[in-house]
Amino acid sequence: MNVALFSTLSDGVQKLLLRLLSFLAEENPLTGAVGGIAAGICRLLLPLLGFLVVVRCARSLLQGKLEHETWGWLSTREGKHTELDHWEVLIGRSRRCDVVYSDRTVSRNHAALIRDHRGAWTLYPLRSKNPVTLNGRVVLQPTPIQSGAVLGFGAVQAAFRPISPTEEAEQARRRTRPGKVFSPGVTLLLLSLFQALLCATLVNVVDPDYGQAVLFAFGVLLASMWVVYALYRILRRTGFEIETLAFFLTTLCFTVTADSAPSALYKQTITMVLGLVLFFALSMVLRDVDLAAKLRWPAAAGAGILLAFNLLLGQRLFGAKNWMVIGPVSFQPSELVKVAFVLVGAATLDRMFTRRNLIGTLVFSAFCVGSLALMSDFGTALVFFVAFLAIAFLRSGDLPSVAFMTAAAVFAGMLVLRFKPYVASRFSVYRHVWEDPSGLGYQQTRTLSALASGGLFGQGLGNGWLKKIGAANTDLVFGVIGEELGLILALLAVSVIVLLALFTVKSAATGRSSFYVIAACTTAMIFLMQTMLNVFGSTDLLPLTGVTFPFVSVGGSSMLSCWCLLAYIKAVDTRQNAGIAVRLPKRNPKPDPENAPNAPSPFPEPPGMGDATQRWNGEGFGAQVHIHREEDVP
Amino acid sequence: MKRLRGRTWFVLLFTLLLLAGTLVLVWQYFTQGREWASFSANSHLFTKGRIATGAITDRNGVLLYDGPSGDYAEDKTTRTATLHAVGDQYGNIATGAKLLFKQYMAAYNPVTGTGSEGNTVALTIDAELNAAALRALDGRNGTVAVYNYNTGEILCMVSAPTFDPYDSQQVLEAVNAGDTRYNGVYLNHFFSAAFTPGSTFKLVTTAAALDKLNSAADFSFTCTGSLELEGGTITCPSVHGAQDLSDALANSCNCAFAQLAVELGGETLLRYTKDAGLLDSVEMNGIFSAKGSFTPSSNPSELGWSGVGQYTNLVNPCSELVFLGCIAGEGSAKTPTLLKSVTTSLGLPGAFLSTGDSSIAYKPSTCRMLKQMMRRNVTDHYGQEQFGTLPVCAKSGTAEVGPDVSPHAWFVGFVDDPAHPYAFVVLVENGGWGSSVAGSVAAEVLTQLCRED
Repeated sequence: MNVALFSTLSDGVQKLLLRLLSFLAEENPLTGAVGGIAAGICRLLLPLLGFLVVVRCARSLLQGKLEHETWGWLSTREGKHTELDHWEVLIGRSRRCDVVYSDRTVSRNHAALIRDHRGAWTLYPLRSKNPVTLNGRVVLQPTPIQSGAVLGFGAVQAAFRPISPTEEAEQARRRTRPGKVFSPGVTLLLLSLFQALLCATLVNVVDPDYGQAVLFAFGVLLASMWVVYALYRILRRTGFEIETLAFFLTTLCFTVTADSAPSALYKQTITMVLGLVLFFALSMVLRDVDLAAKLRWPAAAGAGILLAFNLLLGQRLFGAKNWMVIGPVSFQPSELVKVAFVLVGAATLDRMFTRRNLIGTLVFSAFCVGSLALMSDFGTALVFFVAFLAIAFLRSGDLPSVAFMTAAAVFAGMLVLRFKPYVASRFSVYRHVWEDPSGLGYQQTRTLSALASGGLFGQGLGNGWLKKIGAANTDLVFGVIGEELGLILALLAVSVIVLLALFTVKSAATGRSSFYVIAACTTAMIFLMQTMLNVFGSTDLLPLTGVTFPFVSVGGSSMLSCWCLLAYIKAVDTRQNAGIAVRLPKRNPKPDPENAPNAPSPFPEPPGMGDATQRWNGEGFGAQVHIHREEDVP
Repeated sequence: MKRLRGRTWFVLLFTLLLLAGTLVLVWQYFTQGREWASFSANSHLFTKGRIATGAITDRNGVLLYDGPSGDYAEDKTTRTATLHAVGDQYGNIATGAKLLFKQYMAAYNPVTGTGSEGNTVALTIDAELNAAALRALDGRNGTVAVYNYNTGEILCMVSAPTFDPYDSQQVLEAVNAGDTRYNGVYLNHFFSAAFTPGSTFKLVTTAAALDKLNSAADFSFTCTGSLELEGGTITCPSVHGAQDLSDALANSCNCAFAQLAVELGGETLLRYTKDAGLLDSVEMNGIFSAKGSFTPSSNPSELGWSGVGQYTNLVNPCSELVFLGCIAGEGSAKTPTLLKSVTTSLGLPGAFLSTGDSSIAYKPSTCRMLKQMMRRNVTDHYGQEQFGTLPVCAKSGTAEVGPDVSPHAWFVGFVDDPAHPYAFVVLVENGGWGSSVAGSVAAEVLTQLCRED
């Protein structure tokens, strides 16, 4: 078929669809009565479908116990076997270590064992009082270890045995796959129906010139959703809840775009597709912690340059000077910097014990927050600051420091208020918006009024007025949805963010590396903070700052960065075959010669994976070093 | 990893913050949604700031304002007489129902939001009675208000100067041009202004005397037409001779009350004014009335004049009305309201309304004594015949407001009859003699009202 014919055909199909849809909505005798009832049913059906989609995803994500993964064992001479259930294992006397040896010669944090994505393990001594030994020799530097190695922590000796590739495949076979109880296909069907209803209504509501744009946007949305799903099926991935939730929010974004600024539909669609591509790319990168960690430097440099350019050449488009215009493209660098910020902030276990690393992150964070403050984008600066607090706390666990930094930030905030009357004036109206409804309370009072007018089920698409206010489709998007689609759907959008955060916290227990856990938690914090500032800012529970609602606010940069950030959450989802950010074990592995047993061991054997074929019987060496008992130490 | 997992509560904390904030928002949505929706920028309900839904009627269903069309009552006198109860076309009148009850006119519920078919708000006022009161004012400025002290319903509320709301544009231009005929035209003289009370204030002085002076029962005072006090002379329009307290109130003898004021002292009078509620705002349907004032002077003649309701005394007619209702109710009465009912387009109640209680800190026995004296004022002085068989208790007042202008004429009181539980305030600005000018307005309005009963 030649191209011209194809395009004529597709054009014809589009026109036919448009005509059918407009006939259904026209006020003709046939559809008049039916149309009224249909509109009523539609108003009830939309929140119901949205509710079903979110609840199915929520139950699939949060119900059921987490299944731990086993990556190896440490076995002492006395027969104490400890499972290594992460890629990063902290060994020490402290009860909050992953492997606890409550011997007095063991320091609180004695050593760390870290596995890379290829299955190679490294032993990291952690400035313990008594030495760390490997097969009897003192280890001062990170050292690769093999199966059968005998590790010494003070007076404690333990034989190390990693899981074999065969065992790994067996483990993967036995673990439950997501999507068994709540089929992702059914959820996706419900979401497709939701999109179809919205699209059919929108086609009749928007300016006829944009009918094709609506069909295009929703067509691409629907298609990309199912293409991603098919791709997952091909790649044997079944965890699709997080992606479904993101598509749900994206659907709301497209609806608001079509309703408020239909000319932006093409841009919004393209950025979504681009976002999906980047989501896949970043997911692939995240499979390999070392690669991801190496990318931190270029990411930091890129983000730094972007912000610096923004600071020097930025455009003041809506209040804040946080826009860059390059030719026909205008974007907000701060949105893209978020993705780099998370990457820079995350750290593997070994780096969490080095101060240099934390200082680097500190300097980069200060640069980001400072640049944004200079651009007068205080909302985003606050989002970055809270993300930084999360990183600092997750890495150090030092609550007083976090409290101190918060206090310092509050102080800096007061200084800003003192010298930037533009910001202070926003605070002056906070909690008093009804006293100045035509001035500083303009947006908030209108958001509240529109929200109340919408009721639980909305006034119907196209019947709202809040969208006519400047930047309403980003800053006041919660009210725009509430007015036209109802409070239920607006609250469902918020609940999606809550769900993502809860799932991140739940998954942190089985995250393979600190890197993933920190990145996912930071992402969750960014989403949470943005949602709070957006929803509560526009409804006067917080001062209005003009921050985007993740995925939902209309805007290309925001759409792009949200899909990228989603990859970080997927990387912590270690449910079997959940997503592509986590590599699957080989289905039929060859026996690994490196980890093959070589000699009988005086240590008891670990239980292994039950009927796994390969058994470890490596040999240990007696400790040849002097062990300080605690009482020896002056 | 275990350690790191232990730190993820930090994320959980922020999740809870988001959830808690959302709960607060939902709570506010359900409790304040009606007010949010009735914001004048909400074009689901308003057109160019004008409420474009619902209707306002009087207590008998007479249409006073129709939201969708913007039409007022058919009859011009009714429109003019109910202006301050309904509101003009531009929202310049703060006590108008168009502003006060917009949230009831709008069909709203938290489930379906705002509806296209508005509600009918019935006011407590009687359009015919208002028209009669306006006719009785006969082009003079002032206010006429009647309310049922057992239910709080305001049956009559007229404020003048007033105008036909259809002339809103011309009046606005005239006001902007400084036309003196329209001085204070947007002000509800009943609710949002305070005036020199004149002799009506003697009720307060009498109450204080009854409580504070042991000799009140056998108080006697001989009026010679003037009383010399340190700093000035108190005068009466005529010589009243020897009188007891009841005579003095009936005669409205300035000399006797100035003497009492000096004996009672400024602080006592201030307390009794405050106890009467005359220094506080009355809250009516969410808005607050103007406050009165009383300055206890240390100068005996100034104190004397303040005891007879002159000097710097000011009283708001609405608080005066509540005060009178409370005397009738021997200490308590209902708070005034303009809202009778809200009916949805389906004929169902659109809101659950309740009226508040007001009270004054006067002893019931004091109230009963005041009541007897006020009744005697009517039977012995003002003339019962103008009120027919109604047991009216009243006090007149002629408040001097300047050297070259006629005094304000006051006539305030209540009907002491469970079948006709009405309190009333009539003020004719620069009208002249209280009992004859304001009294006849009160008589006309009360007769019309009780004929309808």
